[in-house]
Amino acid sequence: MSTTLFYLAIGIGLWLMGLHGLLATRQSIILVLAINIMSSGTFMVMVALATHSDPVDPVLQALVVTGLVVAVSATALALRLAASRRRRTEDDAT
Amino acid sequence: MPDAEWLFDGTLGILLLVLAGAALHARSLYAAVVMFIALGLMLALTWARLGAPDLALAEAAIGAGVTGALLFSTLYKAGMDRHKRATPNRIALLLPGLAFLLLLTAAWPLPEMHSPLPDQVMAHLKDSGVSHPVTAVLLNFRAWDTLLEVSVVLIALLGVRQLYPSHGEVPTPWPLMLAWGRLLAPLTVIVGGYLLWRGTDAPGGAFQAGTVLAAGGVALRLIGVLPPLGWHQWPVRLLVLAGVLVFVAVAALTAWLGQGWLHYPTGSSKVLILLIELMATASIATTLTLLVVGEKRELRP
Amino acid sequence: MNPALLSLLTPLATAILMLLCRSRAAVWTIAASLLSLVAAIAALYQVTTDGSQLIHLGGWESPLAIRFRVTALSALLLAFTALIHLLVGLYAARSRHSQTRNTDYWPLSCFLHASLASLWLSTDLFNWYVILELLGLTAVALVSLAGTKAHRAAFNYLLLSLAASLCYLLGVALLYGRYGVLDSLLLADMLEADHTTRTALLVITLGLMLKAALWPLHLWLPPAHAGAPTAVSALLSALVVKGPLFVLWMLWSQVAPVELGRQAGPAMAAAGVAALVSAGWSACRTPHIKTLVAYSTVAQLGYALLALGMLLRWGVRELHVALWLFVFAHGLAKASMFLAAGEMQSTLGSKKVSALRGATQTVPVAMFAFAVAGGSLIGLPPSGGFLAKWVLLQPLLLEPSHWPWALGVLLGTLASAAYVFRVIALSFDRAPPPRPDYNPDPVAQWLTLLPALLVWGMALGGETLILWMSGVAY
Repeated sequence: MSTTLFYLAIGIGLWLMGLHGLLATRQSIILVLAINIMSSGTFMVMVALATHSDPVDPVLQALVVTGLVVAVSATALALRLAASRRRRTEDDAT
Repeated sequence: MPDAEWLFDGTLGILLLVLAGAALHARSLYAAVVMFIALGLMLALTWARLGAPDLALAEAAIGAGVTGALLFSTLYKAGMDRHKRATPNRIALLLPGLAFLLLLTAAWPLPEMHSPLPDQVMAHLKDSGVSHPVTAVLLNFRAWDTLLEVSVVLIALLGVRQLYPSHGEVPTPWPLMLAWGRLLAPLTVIVGGYLLWRGTDAPGGAFQAGTVLAAGGVALRLIGVLPPLGWHQWPVRLLVLAGVLVFVAVAALTAWLGQGWLHYPTGSSKVLILLIELMATASIATTLTLLVVGEKRELRP
Repeated sequence: MNPALLSLLTPLATAILMLLCRSRAAVWTIAASLLSLVAAIAALYQVTTDGSQLIHLGGWESPLAIRFRVTALSALLLAFTALIHLLVGLYAARSRHSQTRNTDYWPLSCFLHASLASLWLSTDLFNWYVILELLGLTAVALVSLAGTKAHRAAFNYLLLSLAASLCYLLGVALLYGRYGVLDSLLLADMLEADHTTRTALLVITLGLMLKAALWPLHLWLPPAHAGAPTAVSALLSALVVKGPLFVLWMLWSQVAPVELGRQAGPAMAAAGVAALVSAGWSACRTPHIKTLVAYSTVAQLGYALLALGMLLRWGVRELHVALWLFVFAHGLAKASMFLAAGEMQSTLGSKKVSALRGATQTVPVAMFAFAVAGGSLIGLPPSGGFLAKWVLLQPLLLEPSHWPWALGVLLGTLASAAYVFRVIALSFDRAPPPRPDYNPDPVAQWLTLLPALLVWGMALGGETLILWMSGVAY
């Protein structure tokens, strides 16, 4: 088993743990974490694939940089939505 | 020493999976967030191990840094700490288990395959205006992706603006923070500027630099040196929009007067790329600062 | 400048300038949609005379960089997008009830327009990922314009949209690892039916089906589309769900190996029939007007999925035409239906279907628009919906072995007739005495009718349209 394959497996594992988190919990912050873990898994698959060319594939690295920025933007929006959603349920309760 | 390498890889891989599991199943939200940030740092280490220093920088700054700050500020603002632990249900365990086998067998032959793209990038690198291949891909070969990505950052800010106004107030800084903040902020400008400049021929670039600058911005805002930022101030708007504006202007002008959409004229590639990177850095720094600290009062006429 | 690029640039530049000037004036968005429409028609003319063209972004050769492809279909989709934005923009500018006046709706809808336009033009798998994220985030921001009550739906929409994007991205990563390119036109010649390709296509398809709210992954759609401001609901149902559908169609009909398509086709067609029946049933039972319209979107997407599945199974060319005619007819009819539903519910002051009792007397024009649009959804002649169903049924009826599928279409038609007539029958009852704040706006009601009239207008040139669409390259 080569290094590439090992990290591919870890990436797939992370992706699936994120999926598992999405299915298993209803807490909004944990859901956002699960999405982020899923995206880390995807990026790890991409980086692991990048290592089998020498030098490390610049296209895949660039794609992952793009993906990271997209992920953090989406996380920012999701967290604010989660917070505001929670405030609304509290407003309703009082 | 292949054995030592295996020991390192194995430990790192298991640690990543354990941290991910801990983040998802922690008892309190606070612990979950801490686990997640640790996971981000381990990921940065992994990227460095796999020979992708650009990503290691980006992950440490964006993945662990900004996401962590956002998570903590959400916990603080919404006062969330009560947490019902996930109950393991059968579907949530069985489905990923089966999918793992399917995906792993699909990925099995991939290490043998080779892509023609890296060679092409290297062959055209000297015409791209920069000497670092990742930057060449991001800002020349696949510049259209990057333009859309800068738009995504902008849309996230616009989306946040539509929500419940955030509490504008910033917690009162403690003395150590005051002292360090003033020292830290100029440092971030230097580091950010260096990362940006280096990006043309070595790992680094607009996104990493923007994030570091945003850290400085957040620190300055927290110690009260920066005034409250708001969309109604035109310099803020200009800074947020500068990246997309310049990018779209370049695209439109090259399509209208030049040879085609985002086809930089020969000889001016480096200048245009630097200009776009500079503006994108400013935009990302401002946008991330606004996303973390929040505007004082969101506009709701 | 190439007119297709102009059609993309206009809304993008307008959005940025509006944000910079802090302008929330409707007139800029409407002008941009109009200009974009004119440019798209010019592009369509150019494509029909000179044939489809490839635009190499940045001037680099294809595996290295992203390419745009302007075909007759993508030019048509550009024009369709601009047209829907124009019609919805006119309504949103006029109506008191659209909940979008003096909000960031205007720049955001321009961004939505631009991202859809780039989706139709692009041919690059990773570029589609970025566009899908842009589309999803813009749509979520637009949904949350409705205020705090929509935030729950917006949050779920965002999470599912992100999860779907990550499914898609994982599949793209596997494909890139296997073949080493990202351009879908190049991949078309390379793909083999091996295990990796199969799995990658499976993950991609699941992600896109979740994003396009195709049955059984549609549960997020009704709350999100029903909770959004009226103009936004119209844009989401008419256009946004068609984006992932386009990518799905491109991948399966142009890129995937034929034998894989032949295996996957029946499953897709079955999911389409299931969508028609189950979402039609839900639409008949829901107590809320806008939720009814949203379930009808899920059901109607079933026709598109059915057409795609059968296209893959039998490779009949006419089914391309049927698929896209469905998309156009549904887009126009659904825009009209959502606008009419929103206008009626705000004028009558209740979200319940039962509030529509006597709507023919209280909000006659909007009710007429609802009925006319509903007629096209059912497939009554002479409407766009009828044309699409006609083209779909022809290859089905030719072969006796295909008749069970035709039965599925019949069931779908019955279900849509049931939920449309549920509303119409109620509207002919005697109206209750109007509420004290009852103040109908006839102009806004007429604006809701406009897209429905266009969908019936499609039938006027029906034969030419079908012949022309059968003739172009896909």
